[in-house]
Amino acid sequence: MSTPNSQPSGIATPPIQGAGNSAGTPMLAPTRSTQTKDGANSSLGTFGVKSGLAQMLKGGVIMDVVNAEQARIAEEAGACAVMALERVPADIRATGGVARMSDPKMIKEIVDAVTIPVMAKVRIGHFVEAQILQAIGIDYIDESEVLTPADDEHHINKHAFKVPFVCGARNLGEALRRISEGAAFIRTKGEAGTGNVVEAVRHQRSVMSEIRKASVMNEEELYAYAKDIQAPFHLLKETARLKRLPVVNFAAGGLATPADAALMMQLGCDGVFVGSGIFHSGDPAKRARAIVQAVTHYNNPKLLAEISEDLGEAMVGLTITDGMKGGRLATRGW
Amino acid sequence: MALIANVTIGILAMQGAFAEHQVMLQKLSLKSRMVIVLVRTPEDLARCDALIIPGGESTTIALLARLAGLLGPLREFVKSKPVWGTCAGAILLAQSVEGAKKGGQELLGGISATVARNGWGSQIESFEAPLEVEGMRDPERPFQGVFIRAPVVVALHPSPSDPPIQIVSRISASLLPRTQTLVPYDEDDTDPRDPRTIVALRQGRHLLTSFHPELTKDDRFHEYFVRECVLPTLA
Repeated sequence: MSTPNSQPSGIATPPIQGAGNSAGTPMLAPTRSTQTKDGANSSLGTFGVKSGLAQMLKGGVIMDVVNAEQARIAEEAGACAVMALERVPADIRATGGVARMSDPKMIKEIVDAVTIPVMAKVRIGHFVEAQILQAIGIDYIDESEVLTPADDEHHINKHAFKVPFVCGARNLGEALRRISEGAAFIRTKGEAGTGNVVEAVRHQRSVMSEIRKASVMNEEELYAYAKDIQAPFHLLKETARLKRLPVVNFAAGGLATPADAALMMQLGCDGVFVGSGIFHSGDPAKRARAIVQAVTHYNNPKLLAEISEDLGEAMVGLTITDGMKGGRLATRGW
Repeated sequence: MALIANVTIGILAMQGAFAEHQVMLQKLSLKSRMVIVLVRTPEDLARCDALIIPGGESTTIALLARLAGLLGPLREFVKSKPVWGTCAGAILLAQSVEGAKKGGQELLGGISATVARNGWGSQIESFEAPLEVEGMRDPERPFQGVFIRAPVVVALHPSPSDPPIQIVSRISASLLPRTQTLVPYDEDDTDPRDPRTIVALRQGRHLLTSFHPELTKDDRFHEYFVRECVLPTLA
């Protein structure tokens, strides 16, 4: 069991308001405060409530759904949240073209259909898509490499939003850069839409091995290592102290079976995303429930054997090569 | 306090923030030795003197509990032993729930209250606010309440046959997020009798909090539960 992040606020750098606004980003107030007569404050959208929601999702499965009916199947199967999108990654690969944020109407239908949190994806760097999703009251935004990037240099300044963000990462440096930009939740990138878990394993192993390396370094070595992996020093130092990422870390990209989910949990993930793996399989409801159970009982092989029985066809997997249809999505993001 | 040999506190570990509760309990200094069990099977539950149901998704936790054969044993446990529910756990401990998923959802019961899920709105309305808590150590120091898609107590159902309901903490109405879903109660949303300002309550040995003490560094709520609800049952 990994050490949880028991520190609700003060991990990430404070929100930047009004400064560095060269891109013309309208700065949304990150927190809104109300006051009592005796001067006590309450505040919305703190880093504590952003990372806190991710902590509530731990030990759970977040499932990709394309309509309200699939969202209901996911909720009944025990999903702790759903990701609303127009095409699952496998279909984005198959059809090609530019993949964008989904129609807000379709996202709202999914929000109305379920009681669990609803997430949705925006293109890397597309802060207006994020403003739109915040305006319709989405619970979490995934700034995702699965969609076609809108900015080939910058990610969204996520501190400027009340809604929390999850971002993909292939290694510790990338994860800490995203946290520094305001991400309250990290996932492996894996290779989405392939049904092949090898890249998710590679990314999780990189993050864990780099954390283990950092955790035995002294301060001078940490300064040099921060430069080496292009990570902000204060976040690297905090990670080294905690011996884990300072926010929740899920597996994503290519998971297709209960065993895949349990594998990623045993490699130190806090929970899993399953995209195409559920609704591209023979019996989505049954497979979804089995993956939910596998994440809870990931350390119990006997139970995993029972859970894995008779699930029907898994999604057809792809061998990951540079020439595969849709290409490598994990290389998007900077 | 008399020296007690052993107390075993379980944390329901189906889904959610159970590890955070474990860390908080480990930090407590007690006169009695405490054993912490992450409860995943009926055998785990049978070892426990008390239980914490953590935050998470109440629908997911209930489904996993049923699939693990824990729903029946949990309902029996609630009848005789102390249980503390935070957020999703509070929903599971309630007698009835508003805003349940389509087709309804399974509860354990134990506290005579109705709660509304996501009572303040979506994640954008999640907030932190200082709370005054009755009976807590250092009462002059407010407790930081972290409310995440929090449930709201909408009605209490006191009955002479049940233990009395004791309000442990109310949030100042002026600190609540203003949302479209918040309809004034009795035409006055600052009414101190409004059940929706109740954020922590006790009934018998059960404790309900709509916020997350396990997400802070402040262990006073965990100490309160052990001292007020758990240890007296073992004496």
